Amino acid sequence: MAVTETMDREVGRIIDQRSKSRRVRFLIFLGVMALVVWSVKATIIDDTDWERLITSGNFLESITQFLGIDWALVPNLVSPAIETIMVATLGTLLGVVLCVPAIWFGALNITPFPPITYPIARLMMTLSRSIHEIVWALFFVAAVGLGALAGVLAIAMRSIGFIAKISAEAIEDLDPKPVEAIRAVGGSEFQVFIYAILPQVLPVVIGVTIFEWEINIRRSSILGLVGAGGLGLVFFRQLNTFNYEGVTTVILAILVLILFGEIVSYFVRKAVI
Amino acid sequence: MSILSVRDLKVRYSASGPEILRGISFDVDEDDFFAIIGPSGAGKSTLIRCINRLVTPTSGEIVLYGTDVLSLKSRALRRLRRDIGMIFQEFNLVNRMSVMDNVLSGRLGYVGNTKALFRIFSKKDISRALTVLDRVGLSDHVDKRADELSGGQRQRVGIARALMQDPKLLLLDEPTSSLDPKISREVMALIMEIAREYRVPVLCNIHDVTLAMEFCNKILGLQDGIKMFDGPTSKMNQKKLDEIYAMEVL
Amino acid sequence: MASATDIRTETPPLREWNRFRFPASLYRWGGVLLALTFLTYSIIYLNIPLERFFTMFGRVGELLADRYYPPEIDYVLEADYLGSVVDTILMAYLGALFGMLLAVPLGWFGSYNMTPSRHFVYPVARLVTMSARAVHETIWAILFVTILGFGMMAGVLALTMFCIGFAGKLFAEEIEAIDMGPVEAIRATGASELSVMAYGVFPQVRVAFTGIGIYTWDVAFRAATVIGFFGAGGMGWYLKRNVLQIETHRVAAILLSIIVLVLVSEAVSAWARARVAKAK
Repeated sequence: MAVTETMDREVGRIIDQRSKSRRVRFLIFLGVMALVVWSVKATIIDDTDWERLITSGNFLESITQFLGIDWALVPNLVSPAIETIMVATLGTLLGVVLCVPAIWFGALNITPFPPITYPIARLMMTLSRSIHEIVWALFFVAAVGLGALAGVLAIAMRSIGFIAKISAEAIEDLDPKPVEAIRAVGGSEFQVFIYAILPQVLPVVIGVTIFEWEINIRRSSILGLVGAGGLGLVFFRQLNTFNYEGVTTVILAILVLILFGEIVSYFVRKAVI
Repeated sequence: MSILSVRDLKVRYSASGPEILRGISFDVDEDDFFAIIGPSGAGKSTLIRCINRLVTPTSGEIVLYGTDVLSLKSRALRRLRRDIGMIFQEFNLVNRMSVMDNVLSGRLGYVGNTKALFRIFSKKDISRALTVLDRVGLSDHVDKRADELSGGQRQRVGIARALMQDPKLLLLDEPTSSLDPKISREVMALIMEIAREYRVPVLCNIHDVTLAMEFCNKILGLQDGIKMFDGPTSKMNQKKLDEIYAMEVL
Repeated sequence: MASATDIRTETPPLREWNRFRFPASLYRWGGVLLALTFLTYSIIYLNIPLERFFTMFGRVGELLADRYYPPEIDYVLEADYLGSVVDTILMAYLGALFGMLLAVPLGWFGSYNMTPSRHFVYPVARLVTMSARAVHETIWAILFVTILGFGMMAGVLALTMFCIGFAGKLFAEEIEAIDMGPVEAIRATGASELSVMAYGVFPQVRVAFTGIGIYTWDVAFRAATVIGFFGAGGMGWYLKRNVLQIETHRVAAILLSIIVLVLVSEAVSAWARARVAKAK
């Protein structure tokens, strides 16, 4: 009898707990919904010129304007497209080169003076990833003028963060066993580096570089919007001349480039893994 | 005439830490297949690694073929190491490289830095590598990546690599602990054959006492950094084993 | 009589082995050569003024010292600007929220193991996700601004599209990585596909999805700070205005505020993700 009483009490306690946590979750849900409603009001509803939108009614018309391809534009896209890929490639490579100090400082096992150099490296990586490529591009256009160089520099600065982070992690995860083996065989420190360390780290670095290169194609395609070369400039011009079909064409060209990048990236990464 | 003589070897990793080896002394002769046994933490791994100075002992003396191991400076140390072949518990191969490259790396002690960078080895070395791979039975796997092989095969690559060094002493650090029982026996048999064929003494750190008794002619029993037994396998019995392993609960 | 010189020690012929495998090595080194040629060609083609690259450092230093320093901090502390910061945060929040809500079913349909139909729904879902992802967030912003006019609605929609692509792919990958055991078990009870998702899939991916959600919000916020440059609402608009007016000290202040805010949001999201991972 006492057993069933304790059991009843336990069951009651569990039910209470569950309904309490359910209540808490419901309150959180309400809070989130309230935030959403307020956000929607503050942003969309208040900020939009509803009158203009509804009365002008060419809403649908605006969308249909985009449907269609400006075939005459296509030949003029080849050169900017190549430029976009070049900017992405050079930028990624420059980024890898600039990464070296960040990787050296950012790996706990090889960083020279942990309390100072490690935080510096992490700061460099975070800054690189937090600043949008458009912001980098604006900065470099002001520094070196309009054109591809600004784009290359912007891409380089933006790429450092991710490449350095992954590479530093690869170095931290280094397997010490081959290192021990090459030492035991009588290899010099240089040989230990070439034979035991490099084969572990290099594939990771190459893999992440290609990965970032692919993303950089996407980024460099729009840097032209702020004057840094490539398809972005064509996009800008088509927009300004209200040639909406041209805009669609440029977007499609960008998609083609990105597809190209993904294909190349897939094969190279498989070869290197 | 002993090839390797160890006197009063002591190892302490840090000034405040415990003494891992507390004065070990023993000799290895030319035809020995010497086993080091003992419970985990007895200092077996440390002892093996002192011989080629992967671990630096705190005090003591190690003399190999008349050379005082502990006094050697870097270049001489490398020359010593290239004469000592080591086979590891977890094979310690470079996983992404091919079997051939792993075996060739055994000659790194003889190859200059530039050649190592471009992985250029002499035709003699390559021929020797092929012969050695034949001997361990891996001729069909020469260009495979090391991580495509099974455990037993990988250990055989390790053996091949050690052979490439034309070693004067073989150090084995628990060579069979990562292998299943049948393969373990095959690997130990292969090592014993090769050691006899090339007349190389072997110092072997081993966990499995049965294997030690079967393949080795002398046994060093360690417990907690102290030598509990040093003599031919024939003199080993259950009572002495119990003494050595007394600390082990399981 | 055989003399010593007749007894030649027979050295067995050396066995040969070559590192270069045909055609695999050809492809490899051919590819590397191609890449190098492309690179050299790029530098020439793009007319990259290498001299400018080296004098750049001096110029950057001059820029930073002269034009950008001191940053006009007062400007970014004004009510107008702070209001736009709040707007940016809200825009990012809504964009991420709507984006993720849509990304969940998209991730489900785009996952090879759980999709209702591998021949039709799966490729369509994958295509939608990849397209949303491929189009840069600034392009989405410009498109929506063109259709809907300036303002935050365009921004929220642009961020939504961006998040659909971003989170959709991550969700799909997460679902593809689950253990199918519980799924099979629930299916075996005869439950509807929705129940299978709810009881078999969702508990497994719940934590990872939350992490992805936080990450998505973080990335959305970074994009949100900038889309205002193209008229889609938020603090980016102030950036554009001051760049056009060459008010460099204000630009510096705005850039600084963007950096600070993004760093804060990154710290918050890293903390939140750690909490979620621990709570598991």
